[in-house]
Amino acid sequence: MVSFLDRIQRKIVTVFKTTDAVMRNRAVETVEYELEELDNIFGILVLGTFIGIPAPPIHITMDLLPLMERELNLMLEKVSTAQDPLGDLFSVLGID
Amino acid sequence: MGVNIRFFIGKGGVGKSTTSALTALNNAHLGHDTILVSMDPAHNQSDIFQRPFTEKPKQVVRNLAVKEIDLDYWMATYLKDTQAQLKKAYSYQSAFNIHSYYKILKYSPGLEEYALLLAFKNTLQTEKKRDNIVFDMPPTALTMRFFSLPFISLIWLKALLKLRGQIYDKKGIISKIKFGKREIERDKVKDRLKSLIDDHIQLQKYFTADGTDINLELNNDHLSFQEAIRIRQKLADIGIDIGRILINKVKNGELLEEITNQFNGYPICRFPLSSGELYGLQSLKKYTLEIPLFAIPNPVGEIR
Repeated sequence: MVSFLDRIQRKIVTVFKTTDAVMRNRAVETVEYELEELDNIFGILVLGTFIGIPAPPIHITMDLLPLMERELNLMLEKVSTAQDPLGDLFSVLGID
Repeated sequence: MGVNIRFFIGKGGVGKSTTSALTALNNAHLGHDTILVSMDPAHNQSDIFQRPFTEKPKQVVRNLAVKEIDLDYWMATYLKDTQAQLKKAYSYQSAFNIHSYYKILKYSPGLEEYALLLAFKNTLQTEKKRDNIVFDMPPTALTMRFFSLPFISLIWLKALLKLRGQIYDKKGIISKIKFGKREIERDKVKDRLKSLIDDHIQLQKYFTADGTDINLELNNDHLSFQEAIRIRQKLADIGIDIGRILINKVKNGELLEEITNQFNGYPICRFPLSSGELYGLQSLKKYTLEIPLFAIPNPVGEIR
């Protein structure tokens, strides 16, 4: 009997934890999207010289470049969705 | 900062190399350990002293050493260091083909003045035990880019740090909501930005420190006079004040009163036009002896 109640309790806790994790993930989805955009803007600002837009003095780009693998990668990923920015945004907001 | 830093700036051809050599020679003669550093890629000091100079300081007379900055060396060293860091950090460097890109990076606008700044920083570190460091600067364009680089860089660095701070804060919010606690790793980019800001503030301080003396040189002709006015203004715009006006190759009468009025309040030194060419150590020494009221700036910033 105790073992049955224990199992029920464990299941409830698991369901609660999963629901909590899902809700928390959903809650930060938009902030994560915003963060990704900010990261992309930062990458574009620093590495602008590589894509032909106004950029900081070259030594700033050169000094930060070795630390910006993630931002460079993100910029490349963004290229694929650059033609459809609204689609990208709608998918984050869950609009079909 | 114990060492006195002297810059000689002005329009190309006014005689910066000669007057910086004369000043360095005079400072050494007065018993002050002095190094003359040629920052001008044209490098006239080897012609003036009639001997070759390199990055390694060469003793010319007692208390005076001379060295010439090799900009290509500093550019190559900087690019090599960055490339090494890049290789370490990027696992897929070859995918971007960045290696081949480095061959053309040395022709990037802005790298020349940064190489000059690196050489300047290095000289301050290696020669800090001397009494004087005399910098014979390049003509106006490169010199102005050299002085304004820390100023412009700081504008960018502060803006980037602000944006990075926003990114870091957002990461903190996400971590707190997702995992219940703010647990994010240190941001290396933010740390690097902070250290670059500190470096550039330090460089700006060198340009405005008490022991730093910027000698603005001109001839008594209209072109160099007008350019000197513009240089003073542009330096003032970035918070750098000149310490002294040097009028070189002074000929009687022309513009002298106008120059004196324009630069009223600044110490003014006059270098009379030499009867012969100032070429070689002996002729430099002879020139200093020829003129009894020779007004070379001495190491404590007064006029002899």
